[in-house]
Amino acid sequence: MTNLLEVRDLSKRFSSGGGPFRRARSMQAVNGVSFDLPRGRVIGVVGESGCGKSTLARLILRLIEPSSGTVQFNGADLLAKTASQMRALRADMQMVFQDPYSAIDPRYTVARAVAEPFGIQGRTPKGSMADEVAGLLDMVGLDPGLAGSFPHQISGGQKQRVGIARALALRPALLVLDEPTASLDVSVQAQIISLLQQLRDDLDLTYLFISHDLSLVKYFCDEILVMYLGRVVEALPDTSAPARHPYTRTLMDSTFEPDPKLRRTITPLEGEVPSPFNLPPGCAFADRCPQATTLCRTQTPTLDPRGGHPVACHHPI
Amino acid sequence: MLQVRDLGVAFGAVQPLAGVSFGIDKGETLGIVGESGSGKSLTAMSVMGLLPLIGGRITDGSMQFDGQDLTRLAEKDYRKLRGGRIGLITQNPMTSLDPLQKIGPQVDAVAVLHLGMTGAQARARTVEILGTLRIPEPALICDRYPHQMSGGMKQRIVIAMALAADPDLLIADEPTTALDVTVQAQIIRLLDDLVKQRNLALILITHDMSVVAQTCDKVVVMYAGRAIEQGPVGAIFDAPQHPYTQALIGCIPRGLADGDRIEGIPGTVPTVMNYPKGCPFHPRCDRAQPTCETVEPVLTPRGDGAVACHFPGAAP
Repeated sequence: MTNLLEVRDLSKRFSSGGGPFRRARSMQAVNGVSFDLPRGRVIGVVGESGCGKSTLARLILRLIEPSSGTVQFNGADLLAKTASQMRALRADMQMVFQDPYSAIDPRYTVARAVAEPFGIQGRTPKGSMADEVAGLLDMVGLDPGLAGSFPHQISGGQKQRVGIARALALRPALLVLDEPTASLDVSVQAQIISLLQQLRDDLDLTYLFISHDLSLVKYFCDEILVMYLGRVVEALPDTSAPARHPYTRTLMDSTFEPDPKLRRTITPLEGEVPSPFNLPPGCAFADRCPQATTLCRTQTPTLDPRGGHPVACHHPI
Repeated sequence: MLQVRDLGVAFGAVQPLAGVSFGIDKGETLGIVGESGSGKSLTAMSVMGLLPLIGGRITDGSMQFDGQDLTRLAEKDYRKLRGGRIGLITQNPMTSLDPLQKIGPQVDAVAVLHLGMTGAQARARTVEILGTLRIPEPALICDRYPHQMSGGMKQRIVIAMALAADPDLLIADEPTTALDVTVQAQIIRLLDDLVKQRNLALILITHDMSVVAQTCDKVVVMYAGRAIEQGPVGAIFDAPQHPYTQALIGCIPRGLADGDRIEGIPGTVPTVMNYPKGCPFHPRCDRAQPTCETVEPVLTPRGDGAVACHFPGAAP
């Protein structure tokens, strides 16, 4: 299996400039993230708000510039590309955004939104544009008759299908899905997930799936990266692998089974994700971790594959 | 304790809610579950007597709370009830607190108003309640402003306000939707403990069937402003009778162990302007017959619960 995507030591630091009344601050949104995404696999990135998962998605597509690290896509070093080379490459790597309401220009018809990538890339479809758009809409389970509709005339689920059709217009190899179902009702979320599964089979797609919902990631993905405050703290090689990091364990314990017979006693983790500004040294999770020792408060653990799959913890479970 | 019968709500000529019935007793948690636009929050607002604020009115049914019919209650008396014997926890803790007022006075006001306490008595009570909600250093928190606190902490403050007047009934409208999963688990545990310790009746409004499975004793499933099924939580999950309930449970992603794929429910949730005639679910239902398009099924007792469907039971 060849790797479609190889990410090494990718980091992003955001800084806000100081002024007369405020100090300059900076935060490490993504910190030393490395992983391989083999062709045809689905990797899920899971974490709570502020853990850097959306920043990671944008870094990989180079929608924002990383502070350090490398991204290899199909063997090519993305960060060495010029803007115009990057634009050409993006035909092969597309993104589906969380909020279908703001991802589509409200003044565009569905057809224009779906056809837009062709114009940007200076390409023309094999047949007529109308046929191509109809084909794409059909592929995502939309009635081609909707081509003339405006975004406000269709539902949230339909809008997300338009977002997917547009992302697929140029037949990319990689789709980065940034919480594609977070703003949808459960019955519609299930439709979209089922559509994405079918498209993956039909079109040989590779997905990077960003989500806060561990049960959804477990259902949908082959491998899981768990992020906490900018770092990957655990890389689960398959969805049934037991948690080795106390944070992953907590995430798993915080998701409930849809079965009243499987009720659990919740032993909640106290505290919340700390502010990413001015993090204390050591493991970022140490303040909330029941197993934390002095070592955890002084030394930052790195991903270590010994004893099972990679985990960044001094005292793995 | 609260018995709602056949509740109907209208805004002008639009009828977003009809035929909603349920009951709840002390020490019980009732889940009201449904997708957006199903009328869950409207049901909560009806019980709280807040409909006039948004231009709605109750057209049918009754709501018996401890012997009095809430639909006939004067606004003056409702004020004593609201925030007093009935507490409300809203979805977004960011907007239910006054950003310009410190935490302490905001919570104190409830006990001053409803229990006639003095400021000092109320503050002592506030500190005590914040402590029982596992808020660290409650006395210091009273001097903070909402923006200095995290989302989970703000939601605890909102819960403290709902508890300050020692209510008998607590209505929680999507109390964890805006929160991260680990914080959601904290809040759910907290609500669970409150029901047991204070013998509260809790109405938990949510779209998340997993939360219902974890916490509720009884469930009402809503669709398009109708209660389409209700019953004990075990029966709802083990042997759901309504095709919508069955499909909703089928939409929850679980491990791939069984190899089944989730399918979703074809079509979309209807909005109040285009509620279908007959059974509101018939355009999305694979069991629909001509009757379903014309005759609206009523909630009829079946087993331990009740269901509004012409062809209830296990999928054929």
